[in-house]
Amino acid sequence: MKISRRPLAANVPSMAMGDIAFNLLIFFVILAKATDDSHLQWDPAETIDVTRAGAAKVSVVIDADSKYYLNGQQVGIAQLAPQIEQILGSTTGDDRRVLLKVHRDATANHFEPIIEAVSEAGGTIMHVLEEKRLKK
Amino acid sequence: MRIRRKGKLLVEPPSSATGDIAFNLIVFFLVCASIEPDSGRPQEIPRSEENREKKEEVKNIEVAMTANLNAVSLNGDTVRTSELGSRLARILKTKPRPEDRIVIVKSKTDTPYHHWIDVTAEIEQSGGQITIQREEVQTIEVQ
Repeated sequence: MKISRRPLAANVPSMAMGDIAFNLLIFFVILAKATDDSHLQWDPAETIDVTRAGAAKVSVVIDADSKYYLNGQQVGIAQLAPQIEQILGSTTGDDRRVLLKVHRDATANHFEPIIEAVSEAGGTIMHVLEEKRLKK
Repeated sequence: MRIRRKGKLLVEPPSSATGDIAFNLIVFFLVCASIEPDSGRPQEIPRSEENREKKEEVKNIEVAMTANLNAVSLNGDTVRTSELGSRLARILKTKPRPEDRIVIVKSKTDTPYHHWIDVTAEIEQSGGQITIQREEVQTIEVQ
């Protein structure tokens, strides 16, 4: 004799929907961060007057070991100017902004070629700095 | 006749969800903390070809710096870094034409970036237009 099974209900628990949606939202917010160079080690220099750097297509980092990174990828100094020029293309105005993140103790023989490369590529330099807090 | 209810109804949030809520809150604040916008200073530096042309026409102001954080050289004279701004402002006051306001910045190879930023900030605040002159490296082949 066959005993027929009761059909099992397979419903998606609706209670978890909010959590899932929220986690997805956070996931895409993290992905939307333009360039990921957060893993690089560098300390910004300080200055009194700073403005908001805003978003940029190009970000150049000189880390604590004086290595060069273009949008998070390590590059040589010779490749920098042509690659920046290629990324900037025929953009105009604020789109030609290049974020320059230089370790505070990097020396002129490392950062001056970068500044020269950016100016040769026709980019607008934005030094990423920290606001100097004056001692009272 | 009034009939009293037996006991009070307990209204508790479901305890199984508190772990999820706490985790989501942690993630939310972590993401908020990591998306701090960058701040900085814009700088306009003319292309090197333009520099050469301008250098030939007029005698520009020169600021040279080394690893010494307390002093810089202004037109060959050693001045304190703290006095650079006022000295430059005095010189630039007599130069109304933009092409005369070009300040050539020379740095020794060991000049640290934070010093360079301080000095160039002083030049820009005094009304100078920065242009960079790098130390030329020459390779001599001995046969």
